[in-house]
Amino acid sequence: MADPMKIRASAKDGITEVKVLMSHEMETGQRKDSSGNLVPAHFITEVSAEHNGRQVLAAQFGTAVSKNPYLAFKFKGGAKGDKLSVSWVDSKGDKRTDEVQIA
Amino acid sequence: MSRFSETLIAVTLAVAAAGTLADGRYTGVGRPALPAEIRAWDIDVRPDFKGLRPGSGSVAQGEETWEAKCTSCHGSFGESNEVHTPLIGGTTRDDIRTGHVLSLVKGDAPQRTAIMKVATVSTLFDYINRAMPLTAPKSLTNDEVFGLLAYLLNQAEIVPADFVLSDRNIADVQARMPNRKGMSTDHGLWPGAAAAQGGIGNGGKPDVKNSACMSRCKSEVQVASLLPGYAETAHGNLAEQNRPVGPVRGKDTGGKAATEARAAAPSDNAAATKLAADSGCMACHGVAGKIVGPGYNDVAAKYKGQADAEARLAAKLKAGGQGVWGSLPMPPQNQLKDDDIRRLVRWILSGAKAQ
Repeated sequence: MADPMKIRASAKDGITEVKVLMSHEMETGQRKDSSGNLVPAHFITEVSAEHNGRQVLAAQFGTAVSKNPYLAFKFKGGAKGDKLSVSWVDSKGDKRTDEVQIA
Repeated sequence: MSRFSETLIAVTLAVAAAGTLADGRYTGVGRPALPAEIRAWDIDVRPDFKGLRPGSGSVAQGEETWEAKCTSCHGSFGESNEVHTPLIGGTTRDDIRTGHVLSLVKGDAPQRTAIMKVATVSTLFDYINRAMPLTAPKSLTNDEVFGLLAYLLNQAEIVPADFVLSDRNIADVQARMPNRKGMSTDHGLWPGAAAAQGGIGNGGKPDVKNSACMSRCKSEVQVASLLPGYAETAHGNLAEQNRPVGPVRGKDTGGKAATEARAAAPSDNAAATKLAADSGCMACHGVAGKIVGPGYNDVAAKYKGQADAEARLAAKLKAGGQGVWGSLPMPPQNQLKDDDIRRLVRWILSGAKAQ
């Protein structure tokens, strides 16, 4: 299981701003280690965010995204105290979901 | 902030006192600094937390200040690499336990973050207090600095989210700093006596020993390698791209025309003329006009500006030809070496000058 994401969500004037820092190696499969062997690819393929069970973001990630990706987005709706959850799935099928309350 | 600054201050004060006593010329000039002035200036916080003023700040308070004043450069989580290198990241729970960041020891960290390197939490406090935000240094209150530091420590997973950092518990935080044992003083950057004699450094010995080139130095520069000819013109004529003043002159790499001109330099022209005469070319070809075959200058004019002219003419010399300048054939010149053929062709194309 990967390390938890850092998520911050704040609602203002009916718009919720979400900032997410995922903790992931994001190996492209192109890099070689010190002995010259390819490091196998391991990267996040899908990211989604749900607000009170309603999907507000769905994204496909690839190898061009950096290690420990940072993602910020805004959506309409959301109020203080609502639940917001962010999930990702990576190329090895690992999953991670973290939930925060909108501040 | 550093351990030796106490000594420095003591020495400075002693010198200042002696100066006042010994030099009567400046009596009546200036006045002793007021306690408030000294207090405003003397803000350093040392590793033993001497100089730290009482106060406290929670992670939540710090987060608020952070979002308002720090995020634009350092990112929401201290992760941003856009303006400065990241503050947070690269440390593990194991590092917090051992006190020495493993990726620094192994050297496999792609980038060093501030929290990976810093050994003393007092340094972070002092720096934020002294220099941040960059646009308005020293504008943060003491409690704001405590809060910001608590927030950063929380982002680095050194303290929990409900932590309240204060002057009373900051020493406990020091015991959890990921790189608290990572600082070395065993090098020449530290002043004063060596560690064995009660100092902190190595006694000021330099880390590099520049001994190899101090004897048997070469007196002349020898060019060991040059750019191959085909690559010389890759960036055009370097001589034209450098200013005619100053110490740097670009080499004349004037492109293809210059290469050909160099190949048939004046000294070469005479040799080529002799080669042409010796090989029997001059029996049928003149330089300026037609004899049996075309004159060299006519040939040069016909092929002028054609990139492959040299290769085509060389092939024609070797195999002979007919029909381009008239019906009389030129016999194959098999007796000529390939090098000589190319030299002749270059000579012809460059104008068949006698000298």
